[in-house]
Amino acid sequence: MTDTPVAGKLPGTGATRPGLAATLSRRAQDLLLSDYFVLYLSLAYFIILIPFLPNLSNPANISNILSNMWPLLVVATGQTFVLTVGGIDLSQGSVIGLTSVIAGALLATAASGSVLANAPIWGIIISEEGGLLAGHTGAIWIGIAAMLATAALIGAINGISVAVLNMPPFMVTLVGLIVYGALAIWLTQSENIRPLPESFIQLGKGDIVSVYLGEQDEPRIPRRQIYSFVTYPMLIAVGIAIAASILLSRTVFGRYVYAIGANRRAAEISGVPVRRVIVAVFVISALCAAAGSILYSARLEGGRPTLGEGAFLLDVIGAVVIGGTSLFGGRGRILWTVFGVLFFVLLSNTLNLMNLSSFHIDMVKGGVILGAAMLNVLRERLIRERSR
Amino acid sequence: MSHLLTLQDLSKAFFGVHAVQGVTLNIPEGAVTGLIGENGAGKSTLMNMIGGIHQPTSGSMYWRDTPYTPRDTAAATETGIAFIHQELNLFYNLTISENLFIDGFPKRLGLIDRKAIDSRTRELLKLLDLDLAPDTLLGELSPGERQLVEIAKALHREAELIIFDEPTTSLTPREIERLFEVIDRLRSNGKTVIFISHVLGDVERLCDHIAVMRDGQLVAEGPTSDFGIPEMIQAMIGRELSALFPDRTAQPGAEIVAEAINLTQPGVMKDVSFQIRSGEILGLFGLMGSGRSELARVLFGLDPVASGEIKLGGKPLSGGPQARIRAGLAFVTENRREEGLLMDAPISDNLSLVSISRFGRTPLNLVDRPGIAQATADISDQVTLKAGDISVQPAKALSGGNQQKVVIGKWLMEDPRLFILDEPTRGVDVGAKYEIYTLADRLAAEGGAVLIISSELEELMGMCDRIMVMNQGEIIDTFAEKPWSQKAILAAAFREVAA
Amino acid sequence: MKKLITAGALALASSAAFTGQASAATICFAFQDLETEFWVAGHAAITTTLEEQGHTVIERNANEDANRQLEQVRDCIAQGVDGIIIIPQDGESAVTIVGEAQDNDVPIAVFNRPPSDLSRGIIVVADNETIAEQAVDYLVEKALEDADAGETLQPLILVGDLGDPNAVGRKNGFYNAIEKQADRFETPIEVATEWDAATALSNLEAAVTANPEIDLVFTSSDFLFPTIRSVFEPRGMWKTRDEEGHVVLGGLDGDATACQLIKDGHVDATGVQDLYYEAEAALDAILSAIDAGEYAPNVVIEDPGFALTADSITDSEMDMWGCVLLAEGFLDN
Repeated sequence: MTDTPVAGKLPGTGATRPGLAATLSRRAQDLLLSDYFVLYLSLAYFIILIPFLPNLSNPANISNILSNMWPLLVVATGQTFVLTVGGIDLSQGSVIGLTSVIAGALLATAASGSVLANAPIWGIIISEEGGLLAGHTGAIWIGIAAMLATAALIGAINGISVAVLNMPPFMVTLVGLIVYGALAIWLTQSENIRPLPESFIQLGKGDIVSVYLGEQDEPRIPRRQIYSFVTYPMLIAVGIAIAASILLSRTVFGRYVYAIGANRRAAEISGVPVRRVIVAVFVISALCAAAGSILYSARLEGGRPTLGEGAFLLDVIGAVVIGGTSLFGGRGRILWTVFGVLFFVLLSNTLNLMNLSSFHIDMVKGGVILGAAMLNVLRERLIRERSR
Repeated sequence: MSHLLTLQDLSKAFFGVHAVQGVTLNIPEGAVTGLIGENGAGKSTLMNMIGGIHQPTSGSMYWRDTPYTPRDTAAATETGIAFIHQELNLFYNLTISENLFIDGFPKRLGLIDRKAIDSRTRELLKLLDLDLAPDTLLGELSPGERQLVEIAKALHREAELIIFDEPTTSLTPREIERLFEVIDRLRSNGKTVIFISHVLGDVERLCDHIAVMRDGQLVAEGPTSDFGIPEMIQAMIGRELSALFPDRTAQPGAEIVAEAINLTQPGVMKDVSFQIRSGEILGLFGLMGSGRSELARVLFGLDPVASGEIKLGGKPLSGGPQARIRAGLAFVTENRREEGLLMDAPISDNLSLVSISRFGRTPLNLVDRPGIAQATADISDQVTLKAGDISVQPAKALSGGNQQKVVIGKWLMEDPRLFILDEPTRGVDVGAKYEIYTLADRLAAEGGAVLIISSELEELMGMCDRIMVMNQGEIIDTFAEKPWSQKAILAAAFREVAA
Repeated sequence: MKKLITAGALALASSAAFTGQASAATICFAFQDLETEFWVAGHAAITTTLEEQGHTVIERNANEDANRQLEQVRDCIAQGVDGIIIIPQDGESAVTIVGEAQDNDVPIAVFNRPPSDLSRGIIVVADNETIAEQAVDYLVEKALEDADAGETLQPLILVGDLGDPNAVGRKNGFYNAIEKQADRFETPIEVATEWDAATALSNLEAAVTANPEIDLVFTSSDFLFPTIRSVFEPRGMWKTRDEEGHVVLGGLDGDATACQLIKDGHVDATGVQDLYYEAEAALDAILSAIDAGEYAPNVVIEDPGFALTADSITDSEMDMWGCVLLAEGFLDN
């Protein structure tokens, strides 16, 4: 960052502790405050690392980075709404697992009794012939509808607990994480369900445009040199992100979300339908989790009760917060989340490419996230100083 | 009289804009200096330079004739300067003595010396005539007592100069009296005081000297005997203010806009009934805890009421704020920071919040952004808002008076029939007060009804057609005849109501 | 569905080098976790062997997250590794990952936890039937040693959940061994356990009450030894092999408890999965596939395991992972 003197910088009059705004040059400030800051950060990070990690700019790797982005982006989009309204949704992880089981139980084209016979759904929803909907026309659409409906129900329960019963979102959704996660595992007795129909799997990995970069006259094109760029997950994720972005930044509903996140009491007194909006936000979050579940289940080709468990939620919330959305509500944008997810996926990818041991990866990752969080604090301080 | 602190041609600029410009001022030792000025006049910046929070862009300060250049607040404390802010820097979960000694507990044998702390605390509390045990939790004290603890903390640090910034805003009249006694005592003990306040009567009564700031400059200075309240106001706003209150432009009509019938909520209010007619400004006066703000919350559907009825335009009101706003109610809360504004959001978002659903356009309910920009700019003009780009500047960057105009302005698009203003001029300077009164008059003149709740009797007497007095949850008297009998109204407010 | 755009030779693509030489191969080792000491041992066996042979090992830990493992394997493929060895999170995700690697022309071996579909990839699995047979062979030998000539003995087996292929294999191995001496044994008593200690307890109690004269007991898993003990002890049947009234007892798994009980003399043999053999077999298969330029080698390698017995424990103790753990003080924790 450059540090050239500009208007507003203090002349040296015994002022030994000038404000932050005065120390940073105007251009650096503008960069730091830009909506695209995290994108610039990601690009800078990418470019700086290319000389050290030659594989980084390799098209196969870029194709991987993109394909890892899409499902995370879908889930993080929902979380952005909840954080912006001043809440947090920890139950997203278990919604992913539960809806994945639903997809598997309804859509599986076959199933093995020796694996699933102990599961309570065996013989009721799923049998040797596959899931309840196996072979029906339009089965995958009914299956997806069932996933979304379940998610919407869970979201509504979360939202009502928070908005009407005034319970803290952290507690409500933590309980959700535990309960729905346990339900998913109980339903299949921790077993995974596969195979899923090919049309469903296409949603998770189907290519639309692939690229081959190499000699045309090779007798046999090595398949690993064919790179997919435009895929169904990309279309789904980008579509959801655009719709969410319009909803949050351009509609009356979006304005309500920001107002409640900024000051719930003031919003209530100003006639904002606070309860309805909060319930809707939690429903949106759960629906996004279910959409993410479709992509994850499809790419793993199975219904998995443990999907979304463990550190997954930290990836989601970490990516949203790194993007710049405030954990305290009132500030958030889908575009920021897109960049946050990009940064997060890029970070994981580069750490893998460095071939660090798995222990070091998590340590470095934590350090980089801390650094990004500090930049965010810096931004907040700048915003405060500028508005004084 | 010698000077404790001297400011010499002091200036401070933010981004090239002068907040304080060329201020030269002597603070006499052992006296109370009043510092007055409208919000944004530069008082806070000046005090922040004295307190070491900001460093001057140019100019110099002298403490007892030696150069004084505080690098931070610790340096100011070290020198002997203490601040008593509106928001106190105390820990409510700790005891009085712990608060006093928070930055350095005396130790004996490596352990905190409780005995020494207790005896020192008792000594300080006695000095302030505060009859409390040193181990009382701060949270159990009244706002006035807390402020005295803050003063005790200043004395404990052996402050020579104590700066009071709007110390009376959250105090009851009795507590204000007590504070003034303490300040008198500080003066007689040789301490120097700077007293910043919007309540000019208090300044006149308490201060030996007065300094007036306007637009970052010192515009008047002298012994209090040179000033009367009109002179102070004139110096502050830079022009003559013919009166503190605008003339009323309309008389109350015959139509009853709103009516409360026997509102009762056990422990809060009892049999509260009143009517407001179109074009009328009705005042509600009462002490803190009399139930005046609770009544406003009940009217607006924020708090429950056990029995009774509220009618607007003859129709009974029910439901929460949303339904009541639709019916034609507007509510400016006394608590602008917590309930009135989205402090971090742009001014235009605040102004459009109440009416945002009017700007939804089919099919997706997308907001009509040019429409909002137009409408909020109109409102901003109507309330004579002094702000930068309202689509960018956050509400918190506004002065108190302008913030209050935003809180009022956000209701104007709804054309409310009954406007409830709870403490509309708290923490607002003289010029902005006048503009807020003008707004209230306009709302009434356009056929609406206005209910002003206030603890400042002067403003109610200046603006209202009638004044109700609330005391322990009951409306015990209503005054309508002018000239007002201030004595009778206060007597009603202070009267001990038979249980 | 797939549209293929061939763009001429572009230097952009960094060469995903295929060295074709096992001597300098880059192997991606993706494991699901290192939380138990069992996996730490398996992980160490693979990495040290590879490095000793001069190969580069790229390690990936998925922290029990199947999606992360898939992403890590894709990263490995993008880096141009020559081969992949995975310890999968579960059999279902293993199928997906094997498909992903083979679709990208990278040979892959699955270690220790078999995919639910065995038709693709190099798959190293424990051969439960053979392992059980070896253990029961020893039990039969011991039981007959103690018996009078011509006496027929009563065997008993605790069978696992028969929905689990492992349980079926172990049961078959047991019968294979018994049938070799069919004339000396009564029809075996089968006690269902459903892989559940409580079920095993009640069913075993019922069986022992009905048939007090039992000469040989085989449990399909070592974890049921404490259950057997709680049924046998009150009946005076829990004896060491040097004491009067000892029931010949064996199991399968080779965990630390079993190792301890063999040393104590209560248990005579247990069938052991040969972790170290499996690691070596997986490595050999993947390296020879790389050498041969095979993109998608498909082979199932079965681990015959071995029986750890009262006689062999002094020699082969340290080949059994449970005893290694025991030596490291695992049971004390």
